Amino acid sequence: MLSRNNLNRFLAFWRHFSGAGAINLAFVIFGILLVWTLISHAIENPARYLPSPIAVALSSFDMVYKGLLPSYFGDTIGRLVVGSIFGLALGIPFGLILGINRTVADMFYPIMNFFQSISGIAIFPIIVVWFGNSDKTIFIVILYTSFFPIAFTVLSGVREIPMKYIHAARTLGANKFQIMRDVLLPGSLPHIATGSRLSIGFAWRAVIAGEMLAGREGLGWMIFTAQDVDRTSEVILGMLLIGLSWIILDHYLLRPFEADTIERWGLVQR
Amino acid sequence: MPAKLVVQNLTHHYPDEYTGESVHALEKINLTVEEGELVTVVGPSGCGKSTLLNILAGLLPYRDGLVSVDGVKIEGPGSDRGVVFQEHAILPWRSVAKNIGHGLELKGMPVQERETRVTDFIKLVGLQGFEDKYPHELSGGMKQRCAVARTLCADPVVMLMDEPFAAVDAQTRITLQEELNRIAIATKKTIIFITHAVDEAAFLGDRCFVFSARPGRLKAIVDINIAREKRIWSAMNVNKEFLRSRDEILRLVREEVNIAVEE
Repeated sequence: MLSRNNLNRFLAFWRHFSGAGAINLAFVIFGILLVWTLISHAIENPARYLPSPIAVALSSFDMVYKGLLPSYFGDTIGRLVVGSIFGLALGIPFGLILGINRTVADMFYPIMNFFQSISGIAIFPIIVVWFGNSDKTIFIVILYTSFFPIAFTVLSGVREIPMKYIHAARTLGANKFQIMRDVLLPGSLPHIATGSRLSIGFAWRAVIAGEMLAGREGLGWMIFTAQDVDRTSEVILGMLLIGLSWIILDHYLLRPFEADTIERWGLVQR
Repeated sequence: MPAKLVVQNLTHHYPDEYTGESVHALEKINLTVEEGELVTVVGPSGCGKSTLLNILAGLLPYRDGLVSVDGVKIEGPGSDRGVVFQEHAILPWRSVAKNIGHGLELKGMPVQERETRVTDFIKLVGLQGFEDKYPHELSGGMKQRCAVARTLCADPVVMLMDEPFAAVDAQTRITLQEELNRIAIATKKTIIFITHAVDEAAFLGDRCFVFSARPGRLKAIVDINIAREKRIWSAMNVNKEFLRSRDEILRLVREEVNIAVEE
């Protein structure tokens, strides 16, 4: 379902970026780069405080050449993907179950609320005590961080499904499993989409913070250690890559999913 | 031959959603519906007609009285009773064809057999060319045609309709009423049709059950002896039987409305 129109979507993406909106966007980006360059030329010791875009670009060539950047990038993305997939895989069914069953919801809701307030960073120290400065620690923190947004949004999504749809399925002879599959799951997809975006966004922050705290190689680690040795251009490069990869991830993974499902069904307006 | 659907001494109370006070919705309802009959149910708002339908559908548990289809007590929803709801209750994430075939899919009918049947029912309600559209792309009238086809396609023993045409415009409503009449002739289904519109009740019903104001009681049964084939709106203005039964239903309903107002 998702792959059939990929080519068309790819073409539409470039058409989209060659249109009027793209020209405006290009102006904004150009403006930012211009102001950035001017400031960097106006200050003393720009290499320490704000290297120019060109300096950042040069350092990126250097790092790609050494093979460091692709390796850091791969590490970070790998942690993000594994951690958030597990977070979503646990959070979606949990939210569904809580949405369906009042008793279960009343049992777990206060506890979920409690842990939701303890951010991923706040649980980091205890996880490090348990699992050391390891990838396992980062994985657990990502999973923990991505679990709550999706579980909460799916829970409210299930509760917002109009009763008439459930009644219609029941009178057609649907059993509990069929109601779950044909009504509750598709009906809560708008919330699943929103929740996934929130969850992966939070996971993305957690992986960067986790690398800094646990000292594991990756983009977060790169900007943290570059600061120690005064290589500000690498700090900025890391930040740029973090932001850009999120935009690409969102555009090629989450947007097509939404276009094929909830927008096609008229559940949300584009 | 025993009746298709039997309601015996059905009394129902339910707690008000906000105040928690007990609402007396139905009082000692006794009625029967014969096989192949289309009966309409009218009454002032709040007379419990929707409560009755939800009990028949099995969506609302009841304690006092007995409700049965083909002699089997109703104890929950089942595919022997199909429901067409007032609002558009077709699933937004299923195309027209997938909505219509949903009941058969739930029963596990093989795809090919299902598609053939779905095509028949798409034709029956005149939705050819819209098979792959999603509900948000349809007009109100088309959505209700789809809802009717979905219910019929699952081949229920009894079709329950809860003010199905109340939300569409007047022109469309007339068309849908004539189409339902045509469908009743073609399928010979047993249909219970709930409405607050007196014209509609007289046009569609073989018999009309008039309910009293709350608590709902069966106040009167009006027979409407018009052959189904003759039920066309353009002919109703001069049809004596239609005018007589419509006026009688109107008189009965207005008595109830006046009682409700005086209280």
